[in-house]
Amino acid sequence: MKVTEEELCRHSDSVNEQLARYGVKFGIYRNGEFHEQLFPFDVIPRVIGSGEFVYLERGLKQRVAALNAFLRDIYSDRKIIANGVIPEEFVFSGSGYLAQCDGVSPPGGVYSHISGIDLVQGKNGSWYVLEDNLRIPSGASYPMVARELCMRSIPSAFSDNLTEDNRNYPELLRKMMDYVNTGGHSVILTPGRFNAAYFEHSYFAERTGARLVTCEDLTVENDRLYFIDYSGKKEQVGAVYRRISDEYIDPVSFNRESLIGVPHIFDIYRKGNVALINAPGNGAADDKGIYYFVPRMVKYYLGEEAILQNAPTYLPYYEEDMKYVLAKFDSLVIKDVAEAGGYGVVFGSKLSAKEKADFMAMLKAEPRRFIAQEVIDFRDIDIYEGGIRVPRKADLRAFVLTGDEPVVWKSGLTRFSRNPDSFIVNSSQGGGFKDTWVMKD
Amino acid sequence: MSLDFERPAWEHSFKLRCFPSSDGRQKISGEHIKISPVHFSSSERDSFGNMCIYGTAKQVHTHFSVDVGGIAETDIHGVIPAESHKAAIFKYETPLTKAGVNIREFHRSLEPRGWMGEFERAVYVMGMLCDDFSYVSGSTGIATTAEEAFTMRRGVCQDYAQILLALCRLERIPCRYVAGMIPGEGATHAWTEIFDGGTWRGVDPTHNRACDDTYIKISAGRDAGDCAINQGVFYGGGRQTQTVRVVVSEVQPGKNSRP
Repeated sequence: MKVTEEELCRHSDSVNEQLARYGVKFGIYRNGEFHEQLFPFDVIPRVIGSGEFVYLERGLKQRVAALNAFLRDIYSDRKIIANGVIPEEFVFSGSGYLAQCDGVSPPGGVYSHISGIDLVQGKNGSWYVLEDNLRIPSGASYPMVARELCMRSIPSAFSDNLTEDNRNYPELLRKMMDYVNTGGHSVILTPGRFNAAYFEHSYFAERTGARLVTCEDLTVENDRLYFIDYSGKKEQVGAVYRRISDEYIDPVSFNRESLIGVPHIFDIYRKGNVALINAPGNGAADDKGIYYFVPRMVKYYLGEEAILQNAPTYLPYYEEDMKYVLAKFDSLVIKDVAEAGGYGVVFGSKLSAKEKADFMAMLKAEPRRFIAQEVIDFRDIDIYEGGIRVPRKADLRAFVLTGDEPVVWKSGLTRFSRNPDSFIVNSSQGGGFKDTWVMKD
Repeated sequence: MSLDFERPAWEHSFKLRCFPSSDGRQKISGEHIKISPVHFSSSERDSFGNMCIYGTAKQVHTHFSVDVGGIAETDIHGVIPAESHKAAIFKYETPLTKAGVNIREFHRSLEPRGWMGEFERAVYVMGMLCDDFSYVSGSTGIATTAEEAFTMRRGVCQDYAQILLALCRLERIPCRYVAGMIPGEGATHAWTEIFDGGTWRGVDPTHNRACDDTYIKISAGRDAGDCAINQGVFYGGGRQTQTVRVVVSEVQPGKNSRP
């Protein structure tokens, strides 16, 4: 392995150069302006042994099965609320719950087709789930394209054939889309080239054979969705992998100020005439407040103990947790449940006395808005920077695709913080990424 | 209902909630609808059980009209059953019904009334609101929030209904917005339904009274946004003017005449 890493490091610049040429970019908005920047790639992979991956795989499948069951339940019978397992306000007062989705059965019964589960590994080796992403989790294309370029540049690193090939992701995606397709084409709906993940949209379209479309290419007629090609010919669409968030997807059902979206796409989705991937309303299950309850969901729906643990989490909503949070404020990280992408994250130890007092007042006024977690001492991973190896914090986004059953992709996006003092690894905050190698034996 | 466009509009997609449905308190019959122009139209029930007619008028037009008619038999003793864990969603505020500082302060000023049942409490709150709020036609718009209207202390039926929702939701009473019709008005009306022991009961804060058999419900939801008579998008069009005309008249039992 050591030899392989040295070999990889020697090619670091050339692989990054190829990624840039390939257009592997990440767009971010700063001060209202759109900037496209390279997503820095580190050649040293995260390596996961086969035994460890079997454990992760079992845990991830279980977790995603429970999350899907939860979504099905809260948009139909709401038994988990009636049985008092989850307080109703954590479901209904979160912004992710969409009343418009109540009573809808999505094609194939799948809500979270693509789940991005963010994990970290503690110093003691145990894995913790930090966050579930069930709306539009992005990032699978990056390790895949990086693998391809590394294999091309450094074939010797892979010649022993001990690493699971991760270039099957589009195949898994395709299978899942076919499973839920209600008849017709599968398409990937992009908001356009100014989206942060536009590279990924076009890459998946190319690799799955699905058409890359924008909203203007789609129209609803007679309760069916059609793609209109350049000659004006209409072809039916049965599955839409949409990379547009819920509130913009249909201006006659959601945000009426939306200038994008496909009018009536939600109406025909309600009737079961098209699959939307992922299902609208999934935000009700990946809210940071709901996260606390996921191990209880596993028990409630599957009758099993959760295999994967959450990071130790406190809900200031519960009085005893509030007491604990206020007492141990300095050792905790507090997260605003409504924020994403590494925003709204506060480390108690890093606040001044005044900031701390202000924050505590806000916490007491709106306890439902926050969760608090123990700061996990992550296991660092080395990155290759300026010719030497330096340790950095890193997480792992695992991808679980659900068609007839959940399948875990044998790889994942490893993101790291480039700042040695930071725990925040989000790409929108300037982090970099690594490939994730799952070993065969 | 009609829409007049200043300039030609096309590719006009619409979703109409203007078709009353039967429930425990009203039975609808002889319903008919005419939409013009229209390229395709279809219907569905939304998550709140409201009938929606949706479709597209692709052709260029400057006038869009919808005519709906039918007979409603109302029953003042009828009940609209609901399960409490299903009604729970109506306990939570929405952007339009979010209580701000003024509504909260007003709510705190009300007498303690812990001994009352939920429905009595809602009626009491309604009475207090009516003493402190005036009906002024045209003083607010469809996007006015409960807090904005309450701060001005004036508004129309939509504002009365939404402020009452905001107040009842501070009391954690499940309650919903209702769009409908009453006799003697030229426009649609709005009121509030309170969840009370497994059924929905209507109260009309604009008139400070319980709803009787002259109230015909069109739709119900968490706030006025869920009950919009028309939600649509189109190309072109420029400024648009929406006109709604409602005629409610009494029909003698047995006679099948259309209003």
